[in-house]
Amino acid sequence: MTRQDLTKLTAIFDHYPTDAGSLIGVLQDIQREFHYLPREAMTKTAETLGVPLSKVYSVATFYNAFSLTPRGDTIVRVCKGTACHIKGADLLLDQLESGLGIKPGETTEDMKYTLEVVNCVGACAMAPVMIVNNKYHGNVACNRALKLVKKD
Amino acid sequence: MRIDSIAKLSQWRQECQAKLAAQKRKVLVCLGPGCLAGGSDEILEEFKRIVAEKKLADISVEAVKKTGCHGFCARGPLVVIEPEGIFYSKVKKANVAEIVETTLEKGKLVEKLLYTDPRTDKTYTDYKEIPFYARQERISLRNVGQIDPDEIGEYVARGGYAALAKVLTEMKPQDVIDAVSQSGLRGRGGGGFPTGRKWATCAREESDIRYVLCNGDEGDPGAFMDRCIMEGDPHSVLEGMIICAYAVGSREGYVYVREEYPLAVINMQKAIDAAHECGLLGANILASGFSYDIKISRGGGAFVCGESSALMRSVAGEVGEPRAKYIRSVVKGLHDKPTVLNNVETYATVPVIMEKGADWFRSIGTEKSTGTKAFSLAGKVRNTGLIEVPMGISLREIIFDIGGGIPDGREFKAVQTGGPSGGCLPADKLDLPVDFDTLTRAGSMMGSGGMIIMDDRTCAVDVARYFLNFLVEESCGKCVPCREGLYQLHKLCVKICEGKATENDLALMERLSKVIQTASLCGLGQSGPNPFVSTVQYFRDEYLAHIRDKKCPAGVCRELITYTINDKCTGCLACIKVCPVDAITGEKKKLHVIDQEACTRCGSCYAVCNFDAVDIV
Amino acid sequence: MVHITINGKVVKAAEGEMLLTVLKREGIDIPALCHHEAIEPTGNCRLCMVEISRAEWEGWKKHVTSCLYPVEDGLIVNTHTPEVIEIRKTIIDLQLANCPDSDVIQKMAEEYGIYKTSYETVPEGDNCIMCYACTRICEVLGKSAISAVMRGHKKVIAPPFGEEPPDCIGCLACAQICPTNVIPWTDTDSTRTIWKKTFDLITCTSCGKAVITKDFAEYLMAQRQIPKEYFETCDECKRMATARKMGEIVTKAQEAAL
Repeated sequence: MTRQDLTKLTAIFDHYPTDAGSLIGVLQDIQREFHYLPREAMTKTAETLGVPLSKVYSVATFYNAFSLTPRGDTIVRVCKGTACHIKGADLLLDQLESGLGIKPGETTEDMKYTLEVVNCVGACAMAPVMIVNNKYHGNVACNRALKLVKKD
Repeated sequence: MRIDSIAKLSQWRQECQAKLAAQKRKVLVCLGPGCLAGGSDEILEEFKRIVAEKKLADISVEAVKKTGCHGFCARGPLVVIEPEGIFYSKVKKANVAEIVETTLEKGKLVEKLLYTDPRTDKTYTDYKEIPFYARQERISLRNVGQIDPDEIGEYVARGGYAALAKVLTEMKPQDVIDAVSQSGLRGRGGGGFPTGRKWATCAREESDIRYVLCNGDEGDPGAFMDRCIMEGDPHSVLEGMIICAYAVGSREGYVYVREEYPLAVINMQKAIDAAHECGLLGANILASGFSYDIKISRGGGAFVCGESSALMRSVAGEVGEPRAKYIRSVVKGLHDKPTVLNNVETYATVPVIMEKGADWFRSIGTEKSTGTKAFSLAGKVRNTGLIEVPMGISLREIIFDIGGGIPDGREFKAVQTGGPSGGCLPADKLDLPVDFDTLTRAGSMMGSGGMIIMDDRTCAVDVARYFLNFLVEESCGKCVPCREGLYQLHKLCVKICEGKATENDLALMERLSKVIQTASLCGLGQSGPNPFVSTVQYFRDEYLAHIRDKKCPAGVCRELITYTINDKCTGCLACIKVCPVDAITGEKKKLHVIDQEACTRCGSCYAVCNFDAVDIV
Repeated sequence: MVHITINGKVVKAAEGEMLLTVLKREGIDIPALCHHEAIEPTGNCRLCMVEISRAEWEGWKKHVTSCLYPVEDGLIVNTHTPEVIEIRKTIIDLQLANCPDSDVIQKMAEEYGIYKTSYETVPEGDNCIMCYACTRICEVLGKSAISAVMRGHKKVIAPPFGEEPPDCIGCLACAQICPTNVIPWTDTDSTRTIWKKTFDLITCTSCGKAVITKDFAEYLMAQRQIPKEYFETCDECKRMATARKMGEIVTKAQEAAL
């Protein structure tokens, strides 16, 4: 980690009481800042909060919100809620997988795109829903999916 | 401004009401999740820009407001012009200038943006008359879509925090518990446990510390009521929590919000800060001597954390694994202290009960399921969106009268309620009244309020497979029946979808389901087989079609269907462009052909064809 | 003291005592894989489930894990009803699919008449039954070097990042408590390897055999104030030395008596 990264990390720690109860909040802020959980950041979290490293790792791998590998510049998330499922979320995935050449959970080699599947994002009325870098797209026709991604 | 007396609160309310009354005209732009997906944030900015530019007499920029979900998501983005309640649907950024000119300047209607009911061809101006809204009764959603969630003053103007003032000055904690008990309010999170009894148990426990928590995890796929309340009317949740804390004697609590709902996190935090600043939260609330504080705990994206003991472990910064609840969490919950946990909708309902009384609440709904319930309508239904209806209304009224029936001329097949813990109910159950006990008896459950409508192009086995897959991924992995049992149940279900299963497999699934239901540690496992059990109960023939005939009657299961192109094909190339595996060949204006060897049966060609030229066999 | 009825027989028990403890004391055969006296019960394996009811429940009954259920007066317990047996058989059947090569599971399955699992064998199975005994004992020892990572069916017991656990002291408690013996470790004359981490061993000053890892000895010296000399000889040599000393005392006493 660069000195700049460490400063960011310290700023995150300063926001929270230094106890085990802060673990998930701290990891969420790290995820938000770095778009994944760098290993060194997890080690530092364990030291700072006085939590065993195994517990940090346990929590980091348990919750969907955390990613242990760096993610791409554009994060494409396809909602797999029930409504999206019966309205053809699989079709969107088929298009994106073949168009980007990656499976859900993977990042393209050029680090441009990460494809993710998420459980219901609560925009069911507009199913199927796709989120490109936090921008929601509703009623996505399968032939539009890839265009929406590349446009952003 | 600190509100440190009831008199000051009343005075402030009058000021807020006067300020709102001074705004002759208002433009409400829905920024609910559905409308946002349609670009309503840009519509809001466009309104503000043009209104500022034009300097109109009747409307100021402040009167162009963002609101939470208005409900009729299928017609979004939505814009409502007050005081007439003019309802413009499917608004685009390009329409804004026209709305300003025609309606705000000339007082005329933009006809093309009005809603026309496709069943009656009747066009409506005032949203309150549209069948979708006319049949509803809004209690927990009373302010959602009506106010700017960031403005505490708008909540106060509509009577917000009056219930809290009444409780703190006129009622003892026990009176509050009695009123909640008498109202018959049951937990809106799905279980339907009597809220008053829960509060009473917590209050009775000897303890120095008690917690009041709010479950805003809403992990059920297909449910978004709680999201809309947290985003659109966060103060109603806070007020309910503060009243509860007063009743049970708690000084601190948490709102547990899903990380997948970033706007809900932001709006709840803004509301907490605003309430703090006014002295409605924190130390010595309204100078009553009572103190209570709320923090936000962001969930990490784990469905199991909707389970109370898992949620409490997650709030404590741990892995969200449930514990056996032979001692209930209301006795031994967060940090082993007595803890009340209710969901968002329950808390949002409490202030109204305090204000209007238990008898009033009881007069709505049925004897054992009092009041109203919010539902999110999604799936194969015309009017997808957010609704609130009195308990006891029939499924048919919800789906057909409010929901507008099934689109694209298809047939209703089933309605899924209760999310992954619930079940599917077929057409002959449509006249059942919607209440906690009836739905459970029918093999489904109320759940948190997600209602997914399925048509004849939805496969019951595929739906079971979908939910089992969801649960396998979301199981915490602690206990064997859930971790291994649901895994095997899912494998067997996949086998059926692939046409590789026998009737023995089906029998094994039914036996295994019973054990998973009895032996699992928490509610996730115990209810995990329900999507399978309820679909096999009502759609056994469909399962048998997959097993005996190797056919998927709904045309969904990829291994059992083929797509072919018939002579309606105009040669438009649309399917060729969309096929992800390049399995379709053909030239412009010539009949296209699918290479069955290469085809993965994803159905993209079927989805894009505008000429009914793709058949599913 | 409370009275409970187990399979029709009235039995006394201490209030709040866990039901499984009472059942075991009464000599009733209840299978349990995740239960161990040294650690708090968690109810992972579900094998110790029994049926409970009370007179005032009017025939209503439920199934609970006896390891976690505190007894109360008037409890009626049935340990071998057809439903209970069905639960145990199904769980063992599922475990057999998950741990096809585990002799402990195989033996247990045979006792219930299962010779082949009814389910598809889990391809990535590692014979771990996920009882958390190892992580719990490691926590009790104050180290928490390993933990359950991932979730659901992907869950495994592992050190952080799947690499040498920095907090591990090579005490072997995890390997020894494991009911299905699936945590591997190896000793050479002077080193021990577990969880991919290699430790130096202190060898016995008299016989040269391994006594304990250096890290574990240091941990115990610091935590429990055990003197350094304690770790210089192995248990066997300590016993021999004690026996020798006893012998000398006896001989001396006999000589004195003569």
